[in-house]
Amino acid sequence: MSLWVGVPARAWAGAAVLIACTGGLALAVSLAFGGTGINIATLALLQIAGVLALAVFSGNSGIVSFGHSAFMGIGAYVAGVLTMPKGVQASALPHLPQWLQGQELSLGTALIAVAAAGLVAGYLSGIPLSRLSAGSAAIGTLAFLIIIHVTLIGARDFTRGSQTFYGVPRLTTVFVAFAAAALFILVARLLRDAPLGLKLRATRENEVAAAAAGVNVRAVRHAGWTLSIVMAAIAGALYGHFLGAFSPKDFYFDLTFTLVSMLIVGGMLTVTGAVAGAVLLAGVVQILRQAETGIDLGFLSIPGVFGLPQLGMGLALLLTIWRRPLGLAGLKEAGPDWPASSRINTAPPAVPAARARETRGQLEVRNVSMRFGGLMALENISFAVPAGKVTGLIGPNGAGKTTLINIICGQMRPSEGEVNIDGQPITGMAAHEVARAGLGRTFQNIRLFERMTALENVTVAALSMGHAAGPAQAIAMAQLERLGLASRSGQLAGAFAYGDRRRLEIARALALSPRFLLLDEPAAGMNPAETDELVGILAALRAEHDIGLLVVEHDMRLIMRLSDTMVVLNKGQKIAEGTPQDIRNDPAVIEAYIGTRVHAH
Amino acid sequence: MKIFRFAAVAGAMLCASPALAEDITIGLATAQTGGLAFADQPSLVGFKMAVEEINAKGGLGGKYMMKLDIKDTRTDTATTVQAAQELVAAGVKVLITPCDADPSIAAGQISQPAMIPTLTFCGTTPTIPGAVGDYMFGTYPADNGQAALLAIHAMTKGYKSAYILKSPDSAYTLRLPEYFAEVFTKKGGTIAGEGSYTIGQQDFAAEVTKIKAMNPAPDVIMTSAYEPDFPAFLQQLRGAGVTAPVLGSDGIDSPTTTGLGAVADGIVHTTAGYPADGTPLRAFYDKFKAATGAEPETVYVATGYEIPYILDAAVTAAGSVEGPALRDALANLKDVEVLTGKITYAGTNRMPNRDITLVEIQGGKRKPILTATPDPADVPAP
Repeated sequence: MSLWVGVPARAWAGAAVLIACTGGLALAVSLAFGGTGINIATLALLQIAGVLALAVFSGNSGIVSFGHSAFMGIGAYVAGVLTMPKGVQASALPHLPQWLQGQELSLGTALIAVAAAGLVAGYLSGIPLSRLSAGSAAIGTLAFLIIIHVTLIGARDFTRGSQTFYGVPRLTTVFVAFAAAALFILVARLLRDAPLGLKLRATRENEVAAAAAGVNVRAVRHAGWTLSIVMAAIAGALYGHFLGAFSPKDFYFDLTFTLVSMLIVGGMLTVTGAVAGAVLLAGVVQILRQAETGIDLGFLSIPGVFGLPQLGMGLALLLTIWRRPLGLAGLKEAGPDWPASSRINTAPPAVPAARARETRGQLEVRNVSMRFGGLMALENISFAVPAGKVTGLIGPNGAGKTTLINIICGQMRPSEGEVNIDGQPITGMAAHEVARAGLGRTFQNIRLFERMTALENVTVAALSMGHAAGPAQAIAMAQLERLGLASRSGQLAGAFAYGDRRRLEIARALALSPRFLLLDEPAAGMNPAETDELVGILAALRAEHDIGLLVVEHDMRLIMRLSDTMVVLNKGQKIAEGTPQDIRNDPAVIEAYIGTRVHAH
Repeated sequence: MKIFRFAAVAGAMLCASPALAEDITIGLATAQTGGLAFADQPSLVGFKMAVEEINAKGGLGGKYMMKLDIKDTRTDTATTVQAAQELVAAGVKVLITPCDADPSIAAGQISQPAMIPTLTFCGTTPTIPGAVGDYMFGTYPADNGQAALLAIHAMTKGYKSAYILKSPDSAYTLRLPEYFAEVFTKKGGTIAGEGSYTIGQQDFAAEVTKIKAMNPAPDVIMTSAYEPDFPAFLQQLRGAGVTAPVLGSDGIDSPTTTGLGAVADGIVHTTAGYPADGTPLRAFYDKFKAATGAEPETVYVATGYEIPYILDAAVTAAGSVEGPALRDALANLKDVEVLTGKITYAGTNRMPNRDITLVEIQGGKRKPILTATPDPADVPAP
């Protein structure tokens, strides 16, 4: 699958390390405690699989899912119906439709059906889920938990309703459980650095910025959710074949609590965290379970207290959110810390920053009006941003600049009028489509993917332009180089100083190979030296790549110095357009804008 | 300490010397914490008490001293499976499982192939033994038995039409009223209507309005709802002015129901046993009070206490604690006298025919109105 192509070697190595650790632990427990140890290892491995299924969506998207245990239930029931011995099935499920009767499939074959069921369930549930905001989506998953629970209870002919579903062959051996855990570790770890994982993590860090970097937020959430649900259904099928008998309540709030606790304790942001959390909590529970029946050392006898495991789990959860809010693993994945960029030299380095075109074009705002109820926020605004030129957009507070930017970038649809790029209308396009159509942007209040590396920040944008992983990284690296950030490509964006953050944001916008770049107060908060440097970079961009720049700026000195043309807004109307010299002398502008500023001082 | 335990278990298994042959281990994988603890905890208290008494008299059948290996299942099926696996591996001769079908069946599926007789503390779902196999036994009054007795009571009282209130959320709240309806209609009654609720819903306005609007009004209302649903339903029902008598099941055999005051007057419900003066159960309650300072809070203490005595009767009959012999002896037990009456497995599907008591609530007190074993011909198939 192209999904995995170009995943850095360290992801493979990291997965190998995690699989080896998990296998080693399982083996050690099995050898040390015999049959009991094998049971403990089997259950823990199944829990790892369940938590990883959850982590693939929740870890990468940042949306905690409370619904996964219910989808595990779907997997358990589907597999159980298919593998159940004929005789038991006749008494347990007398009203099962003919075509499902007496299948007695092997576990492997049943898992294929389970994966298909997971795919359908994940895809369908993903349709509403991916349309919700991140906060509502978490509540949405809770709705799925309840809906599926009620459905499982209602489907009496297939599930025996709330009565025990029994006679499921206990086929989940420790080897089967390990195979599942190992496979899930591999999938989860590779996904994290694969294009889908990168884009999902970008939406987790900043949804608006992800869209501006060309990421179709809905589509990647939908894809991540569907994959995650397929994994959950498989994990549930194996869990069901471990239990042998279960009912819908075994896949309800208690299981949700266990899975979510494990993920939070280990750390949502990494695959290592998901595995560590499952191992740690499973370990705490098992050790306390032995202790709770009382300890008799011959000379010393400690009476048993039931309930210790729950107490231990609660304490672990409390300690984690208090002392280590990001979980045990924090931001670091286990395994070698090879820089992802080590592979880049092998990829084709020469990628144009702006796409080729035949004629010089322009970004055109034509007759745009915007009404909010009775308020006219923008009235019949028209201007053009020619390629290779810098157009400055100014106006006092409340002039309508932000509304105009939001319309141009696809976050709002104008009441009237249209926006074109090189003659092609982009009005009504979603933000990510506008980005892909050739408009890169930066934000007034810098929006980076804080807990991702600089390289990952920029790579996300290159990936949305349809480049494969390797070339996308090469493009990203080239942009970092251009902005002087190449040496820090492996550092987390959150660790960057202010000026560097501005430049990283510009690098990310440039990775879209944009025809036009919208810079929203790019110099805000910069010192004079940094501002000069920025002016240099922008001048070079325009000269080298013929990019048209639309700059919104409050720093009058800067905007005058930078712009070829300027557009002045006031109270929703365009009051002037022309060269900086014209604007400086325009009486309307002086009165509406500069004049008021002078008076204010 | 896990290693110590492991070494001890391994050692015990390696040198199963003749000197230890008279000692047997009974494994208990029951829910001492979590949602089932309300039933499993008191059951365990009674169980331990009986074990001590029987051991003091020389053990099961006079020769097998019982040791207990108790594991908490936290009301979690996966933990129950794990506990059952550990207990089976440790070589227990008898396994005791929680008061619920899921964990009991899951554990039974592990002990059945190991040929270990397994008894559920107070699982009432009559499908439990059939789902597992010939080593699985119920001990407590089954849902269908309770329902049969309630239906027969309804007929004796001359009720012609009944309204049933059920919840699909659990087998107990769903199937018990359905069993009742089955027996009631077979005996000539009619089901005038039925309502459904969600466990924990609290607001029964819709159901109550429906009942109040029924014309003709039903002669009796039957439900197996329990706390917190039953008190809420009853108060709203009486508040709306519906006066039809209410029949309930053993789920409301708690002080909460008698504490409801006048609205609870006239309720008839089933229970595993009522400590009327002069009964063995009364004597047990007195003995328990003398030992612990308080009477048992629920009948589960008594039903838990009965299980070692059922085992004692079976081991005495079998003369052995080996799985097949003990299984056959259990399956053939007839009229074993226990605290709450007589228990018979012979001729059943290993869910016992046993005495069930009907009590009526008046003025905040229960009084027994009938103790009987329902005729097997009246008990609906599980």
